[in-house]
Amino acid sequence: MVLLALLLIPFLTALALMLARPTNTARHIALGSTIASLGLVALIWWSYVPGQTWVPVKFDWAPTLGLTFSLGYDGVSLLMLLLTALVFPFIIAAGYRQNLQHPSMVNALLLFTQSFLFGVFTAQNAFLFYIFYELSLVPVFFLLLYWGGERRRAITVRFFIYTLLGGLMLLFGLAYCVTQTAPISADFAVLHALRIPADTQVWLFWALFLAFAIKLPIFPFHSWQPDTYTMAPLQGTMVLGGVMLKMGLYGVLKFVFPIVPFGVEHWRDTVIWLSIIGALYAGIIAFRQQDLKRLVAYSSLSHVGLLCAGLFAWNVYGTGGALYQSFAHAVLVVSMLYIVGALKERTGTSELGAMGGLKGKAPRLAALFFLVMINAVALPLTQSFVGEWLMFNGLWQVDGWMAFAAVATIILGAVYMLYAYQRAMLGPDRWKMEMPDAGRNDHLYLVPLIAITLVLGLYPAPILDLVNGPVQQMLSTLTALN
Amino acid sequence: MSALILTSVLGVVLLYLGLSGNKSILAPTAIVGLVAAGVMSWTGWNPGLMEFPTMLKFDQMSTLFNCAMIAVTVLLFLFGIDYYRRMEENVAEHYALMVFSLTGALILTSYTNLLMLFLGIEILSIPLYILAGGKKRSYRSSEASFKYFLLGSFATAFFLMGIALIYGVTASFDLAVIGQKVQAAPNNVLFLLGAFFVSIALSFKVGAVPFHFWSPDVYEGAPTLVTAFMATVVKTAAFAGFYRFLQMTAMPPALSDTLLVITILTLFLGNVVAMRQSQFKRLMAYSSIAHTGFLLMAVLANSAMSWSTLFYYTFTYALATVGLFIVLTLAKRAANGNEAIVIFRGLFRANPWLALVTMLLLLSLAGIPLTAGFVAKYQVFMLAIGAGFIKTAVFAVFMALVGIYYYVLVIREAFTPAEETPVLVVSPINWLVVSACGVAVVAFALWPVLVG
Repeated sequence: MVLLALLLIPFLTALALMLARPTNTARHIALGSTIASLGLVALIWWSYVPGQTWVPVKFDWAPTLGLTFSLGYDGVSLLMLLLTALVFPFIIAAGYRQNLQHPSMVNALLLFTQSFLFGVFTAQNAFLFYIFYELSLVPVFFLLLYWGGERRRAITVRFFIYTLLGGLMLLFGLAYCVTQTAPISADFAVLHALRIPADTQVWLFWALFLAFAIKLPIFPFHSWQPDTYTMAPLQGTMVLGGVMLKMGLYGVLKFVFPIVPFGVEHWRDTVIWLSIIGALYAGIIAFRQQDLKRLVAYSSLSHVGLLCAGLFAWNVYGTGGALYQSFAHAVLVVSMLYIVGALKERTGTSELGAMGGLKGKAPRLAALFFLVMINAVALPLTQSFVGEWLMFNGLWQVDGWMAFAAVATIILGAVYMLYAYQRAMLGPDRWKMEMPDAGRNDHLYLVPLIAITLVLGLYPAPILDLVNGPVQQMLSTLTALN
Repeated sequence: MSALILTSVLGVVLLYLGLSGNKSILAPTAIVGLVAAGVMSWTGWNPGLMEFPTMLKFDQMSTLFNCAMIAVTVLLFLFGIDYYRRMEENVAEHYALMVFSLTGALILTSYTNLLMLFLGIEILSIPLYILAGGKKRSYRSSEASFKYFLLGSFATAFFLMGIALIYGVTASFDLAVIGQKVQAAPNNVLFLLGAFFVSIALSFKVGAVPFHFWSPDVYEGAPTLVTAFMATVVKTAAFAGFYRFLQMTAMPPALSDTLLVITILTLFLGNVVAMRQSQFKRLMAYSSIAHTGFLLMAVLANSAMSWSTLFYYTFTYALATVGLFIVLTLAKRAANGNEAIVIFRGLFRANPWLALVTMLLLLSLAGIPLTAGFVAKYQVFMLAIGAGFIKTAVFAVFMALVGIYYYVLVIREAFTPAEETPVLVVSPINWLVVSACGVAVVAFALWPVLVG
């Protein structure tokens, strides 16, 4: 019942917001709802017994299609639930500074997204997963269409179509897998026990993986990402970069690895190299960006490339590290984008060329930016360092050159982030006007996020313990197969 | 059986009621009659019972199809109350012709004899030729009628040729007898040729490429209500007829290959051409061709599951289409008769609920989860994959994506604020019908068990 409540709290709040349309209290209500969800997830985490897959909700929905409504979680699901629940209050809170039109609608759409994301991360039936996966796109579509920036009409449709291309291929792959089961069932437990012939797996791999490759996105399926991230309203970008792309990682773990292990073995090197190429390429482009938000978009692209490479390293270090890093990345994206918003609010622009010398005017904001940035460049003692180090180790076990290239992306990351910081904050003061320094609200927002980063950087065990069990179990079944 | 008799009588009654000059009793009478026919059809469910010694069979499949078609016609007539009130003087003929056409449709779902198939198709089509020209003073409507009539006659000629050949080989019109004879000698060239000709005629009726040329012009020219009728009831009936026919032939490889080519062409052309349409009715015409492609995939798979998938798909497609055509009519009135897609702009501001339902209906046609269209497409994919048409299924996936593109463009229009918010006048009945379509499309997705 807890899981059902988890889905229903944001969903019903969103419905209420949509129907009642309060203008002044909408943000408070939404914030309250997300905090309640966070509390619930904390409760689930607290009562979690490691190494278990827990399926408390299950009833038949449409047996002829193999669809059952079953919700449950294991360690990996729990990690994803945790990061979704943790990040969403911050995403809602970011709305207090944005003053978008129709706040009740914005918050309703955000809460719908959260509800569907919880659905994705708890679904124990592949078909149910797919339904939530596609549904989560609908509120985001409207968020972008109504509150996006320039050229939003064209970019939104492109984003939608791109994502659905993957989604439909996934549906095809799913339909294929389901027709192989007897009696027909799309439960993950049944699908994972399927033994599909190796040569079928070679092409089925792409049918299943393409959706997630686009969602993440990895090179060369990324061309929707920079425009969409830049054009989206700040909160929309937070949702896309902070949480939605994690559906890609999660999907790979749920669909690709267990169902088509031979396919993975066949394509693993290709995927890793594509990811690393993408990471390097995005890093180089990020260096040349003039717009801070666009730079964050490219840096996210670069980080995600590395994440995907780590995931496909297919050992405890790489896969576990990628999962750990996905948590770090969510926190990072939200805090980084908040800084972008704060700077834009003060200077009226996100052009790096127009900024400069802000440190003198707003020293506290500069300090906060710096603390966020050291996480972005994966300095030791931060959360990102743990994740990236693990992934680097994982890749080293696969191939030395891969690890070498992965390190290069980390160096590139440090270069473009520091360069951006330098251009925005340091140098001669170009601003004649007075501007407010980071206030109480900014601290309330950023300090907890930075604290999470540092604490988990020092003591990563809580998160790693969650992930280790399921990952080791999965890898051991895979090695048994080969 | 009694449903069939009732609808035939109902048509005649409506014609005479038209003489009384009282327009307002036509629609209620027709609706009451149809509901009665629906109930009779449902209670007359008798698996395996043959009527007219061996001419018609009312089994589970035909009962479900009949009830669905009657239900859709009722929805259309409810819409007709408002639609015909504004239109013309003599509307009794319109109702009567549509009921006659429905009678043909009922025969088409339950025939067990090729002669009945022929009768069904003709009873279905001849009223349509007249209905397409319903706007007497409209040049385009007359063109639609004439075009449909000419090409339809052509298809009939093919059809008769086909039956003649089949009769020549098997000396019977009875499906069961022909089926047995065919199994004894599966690759008889003359039989194949006959089956091929009949398939061409039926492909014409369902609007499959390359026999689709009539549909965009006819859809555009015909009165909107008739367009909606053609896109829903007629297509449903034609597919039921097609399926029964192909079941009988046991799908020899030559026929299956031909149909595969037709399916691929239909999927491709319907979807790709729809992308470039700026008129909503033409868009719906090409989208209808595209859906024909998906339905053909289910027919092609030719498994025991096929008919329930066909039923689910056509019924939910019909619901979405009826709702959309009503919304089109409302928007068209607000835009002074313009039928372009841009007239949907500002719909959300003008009437949020209507915009929301429009979105649901379009999403259903596009096949996005939690709408019935998604479940339908998924079933089609399962059938096609199960029957081994894997590459076709992949191709269909890409075409479904193209489909999503043009439906999303319409959704985007509906949710983009217009410079001048249109003023929509929605009568309570229309509101009810559109809402019912929207709710049904979601409800059938949530409980697919409800149908089939």
